[in-house]
Amino acid sequence: MATENPMESTAWMLALDDRLRAAVGEHELIHLIEAPTLLDVPLSPHYCRRAILWNDRLLPAMDLAAWLGGREQPAQPARKLAGVVAYQPRMGAAEYGVLLLSDIPARTRVSDTQACKLPEQPTGWRDLAISCFLDAEIPVPILDLPFIFSGGLLATR
Amino acid sequence: MSQPVRNTLAELREIRALAKLTLGGYPWLLPQTEIRSLESPLDIDREVRAPQGIGAIALGGEWWPVYCLSGDLRLLPQPPDSRGICALLDNGADRFGLLCDQVETLAETPRLLALPACMGLPDSPIQALAPLDEGLGCVTDTEHLAALLATLAEGADGH
Repeated sequence: MATENPMESTAWMLALDDRLRAAVGEHELIHLIEAPTLLDVPLSPHYCRRAILWNDRLLPAMDLAAWLGGREQPAQPARKLAGVVAYQPRMGAAEYGVLLLSDIPARTRVSDTQACKLPEQPTGWRDLAISCFLDAEIPVPILDLPFIFSGGLLATR
Repeated sequence: MSQPVRNTLAELREIRALAKLTLGGYPWLLPQTEIRSLESPLDIDREVRAPQGIGAIALGGEWWPVYCLSGDLRLLPQPPDSRGICALLDNGADRFGLLCDQVETLAETPRLLALPACMGLPDSPIQALAPLDEGLGCVTDTEHLAALLATLAEGADGH
C-alpha cells in the first residue's frame, strides 16, 4: 500500500540575535542587505526605532529580539543584516518590512510532523508567531508578518 | 485633550513650503505658513513662564510661551547651548515658541512617505517622513506639537 509523505515546505531560519531563532516562509524573505543604513525615526516604539530606504520605499526595521526582551537593546554591531520580507495584508497588494538579523538566514525543509508548541519563554512568542516547528529538537516559531508589520505589536504591551 | 486628526499624505503633499526646524540634530518639518517669526533667544524673558516652558517672548502685545524640546520631543528644562534661534509658531488656534538649533526653508518640498503602521504610536505627532540629506525629516504641524506639549506638561505636573 502506498503511503503519502507528510506535507513539506521550505522555510528560512532567521537569527534574531545570538540566541533567538524564528522562521518565515520561503517566499516571504526576498532580499538581504548587509550593513544596512538605518535611519532614526523619533517617537517610534523601542523595537522599531529605525527605517530603511529600499527601492524607493520606506521600510520599518523591526528588532524582534528587542520586542521579545521588552526593552531596547544597545547598539548591536552583531545585528549586521537586514532581511527584507514581503507579506500579504488582509486587503491590497503585498507590503514589505525589514527584520534585523545577526546572521545569514538558512533554508530548511519543514514537514507537518515537526509541528510543536511555542516556547514558553519569552512569552511574547504567542503574539509574534502563527505556529512552530522542531528543528534539531529546538522549537522554531514561524512569524506572523502581517500582524507584526501592520501595527499589531503596538496594542500588545 | 483630544488628539488632532492625522492628515493624509495627499493633504500633506499640498503644503507649498516646508520649514526645517532642527532640534537636537533631528530635522522636523512644519508648514512654513505656521512660522510667524524668528526671534533671538536673547529676547526670551525667563521670568514669564508657562508650565514646563523656559520663558516667553513678547510679540504683538502678547506673551508667547517658549518651549525647548529634544530631538525626540521631550521637554528640556535647560536649553542646550546649540539652540540659537526661536521659531514662533501660530496656526490661528495655537501659539507658542520653540527653541531650535536652526531654522531654514526647504528649497523644494521633499518626497513625503507614510509613517509605517508599526512605528506610529497613538500620540505620535509625526504625520509623514521625508528623506533628507541628513536622514529622515519628520513632518508635523503646530496643532500636533501643541497637543504633544499639553500632554507633556500634564504628565510633568502629575509627577
